[in-house]
Amino acid sequence: MAEILTEKNLAIKVTLCFIALIVIMGLCTSVGTQKISFAKVLSGSGDTPGSNIDYEIFVIRLRRVVLAAMVGAALACSGVVLQAIMRNPLADPYILGISSGAGLGAIIAILSGISWTFWGGSAVTAFAFMGAVATVWLVWFIGHFTGKSQVTGLLLAGVVVNAFFSAVIMFLTSIAKSEQLRATVYWLMGSITDKDPLVLWISGICILAGIIALFLVCYRLNALTLGDEQAIGLGIDPGKTRLVAFGFTAFITAIAVSLSGLIGFVGLIIPHGVRLVFGPDHRQLLPISALIGGAFLVCADTLARTIFGQEQLPVGVVTAIAGGPFFLILLAKYSRKVSWLK
Amino acid sequence: MNSSIEVKNLSFSYQPQEIVLKEISFEVEPGAFLVIVGPNGAGKTTLLNLLCGLLRPQSGSIKIDGAPVESYSTKKLAQKVAVVRQEFVPVFDFTVTEIVSMARAPYLGTFGFESENDKKIIAEALEMTDITRFASRPLARLSGGERQRVFIARALAANSPILLLDEPTNFLDLKHQVGIYDLLKVAQHEKSKTIVAVTHDVNLAAQYCDETLLLGADGSYQYGRSEDVFSSKQIERVFGVRTFAGKVGQEKFFIPLGKFAKDSGEIKSERDSS
Repeated sequence: MAEILTEKNLAIKVTLCFIALIVIMGLCTSVGTQKISFAKVLSGSGDTPGSNIDYEIFVIRLRRVVLAAMVGAALACSGVVLQAIMRNPLADPYILGISSGAGLGAIIAILSGISWTFWGGSAVTAFAFMGAVATVWLVWFIGHFTGKSQVTGLLLAGVVVNAFFSAVIMFLTSIAKSEQLRATVYWLMGSITDKDPLVLWISGICILAGIIALFLVCYRLNALTLGDEQAIGLGIDPGKTRLVAFGFTAFITAIAVSLSGLIGFVGLIIPHGVRLVFGPDHRQLLPISALIGGAFLVCADTLARTIFGQEQLPVGVVTAIAGGPFFLILLAKYSRKVSWLK
Repeated sequence: MNSSIEVKNLSFSYQPQEIVLKEISFEVEPGAFLVIVGPNGAGKTTLLNLLCGLLRPQSGSIKIDGAPVESYSTKKLAQKVAVVRQEFVPVFDFTVTEIVSMARAPYLGTFGFESENDKKIIAEALEMTDITRFASRPLARLSGGERQRVFIARALAANSPILLLDEPTNFLDLKHQVGIYDLLKVAQHEKSKTIVAVTHDVNLAAQYCDETLLLGADGSYQYGRSEDVFSSKQIERVFGVRTFAGKVGQEKFFIPLGKFAKDSGEIKSERDSS
């Protein structure tokens, strides 16, 4: 008989992926346009700030690498869950309008030039988060009252809200001043930048908590992908499962988007790639996607900040350019499932 | 392990004016095999959806083991009733084992992993439906008949006393049709399951099932022992087609006669003597 996923088997795979993620994060922290010596880094910050440049650079890079890992993990998990809820392998974290809502919030913050900070987060971050949460609520509200099958209703509401907010975003960009325009476009392309440690701690803990909560509904998601009728027959309440899964997904996506802007592709190809290699069981798909997604974005961001020397690319450009071909290779290689990897 | 189903004065319609099911009453004894037969649109699948709690009765009641269906939670009901719907290919590439394992969902703990006992039950279900040999294949790579067996295996793995099936032999060839009914009969006898199956296939139903509920498209129904319900008169009336009724040994069979049947004028449909 074919093996059934066990806790032990999953724990081994997750541990291996976790070690890989840590190794990649370590390597990427040591890479950069500025060479740093580890001996100097280990000697600490020194008595006066700025006395040990190597240490400072290391800390800044480390923060950036950690942020990339968090955002990557959140986006990948979000993709996994939304693909399951929508029963559509083409769904991504932005399918329900989170992107345009967050984008609108960010642009309003940029255009109005608000400069206050909130728990160490910039106004752009705070506004993007509020925009994302408000949009998700709006989409869920509209989707719930269309009276159609819930999935179709949600999808339609997402598309409509997305289209409307995108139009508003375009209007606002067209009246923006040139330096505001640059900031806006950069945000819309998605970029990992240095963030306050407090922001990193709070959002890191929130994202981790969200992913753990999502892990607990994973076996229900398996049944849900077969459709509502089937799920009910298997003792799963589809409405409740969808609400819980959707709520936590929206939460971690909103955090990720507000920190990094609209980084595309991670939420689509990572779940897809992991599913091709490891199979569609969500209990395995979710944690492994989180770790691989984190590692992927860390690599992509390292490329983005090193490939053109001092000139930094938005990481969204790298994920799209590198992710596309990578995904095609995966698709070609594993579309017939390889037995030894299962 | 065996449970009863009790339906009393059940009525249901999707729109206010139309009538799908009107004042239907019947009772399925523990361990019995009931078949629901009728033409398209008679409300067979609707009745099945009512029995498994997917739809709520508008009037009348459905009781499972003496308690109304709506008093069960989704999880508790799934532990009582397992449903086999028409086979399909899932959106994601689940393997046979993964699909069958899902039957254990109502029994899993917080983290959602199968226990040793769950695994034993799953292995048994695979064995019983003879699909162990392709247990690690994705469903998309099976034939329709094999997939149908997978869904039956999943229903068996739920270990529920009641089994509901919606047209389990649709699109299957003769051998597989008989194979599925043989399998159900074994489940009825060895696991003392109470089975309710919806079908168009009058002949297999007459052969395998103890009791029959014949639903007409006009809201009429007839319920009783299979040998009493199945007569060519009833079949002709309910399905609106001329039939030839015959008998081989103890088995009755019905053949529909179309307008262009050869010798159509000469065959007189034999009426049952009983």
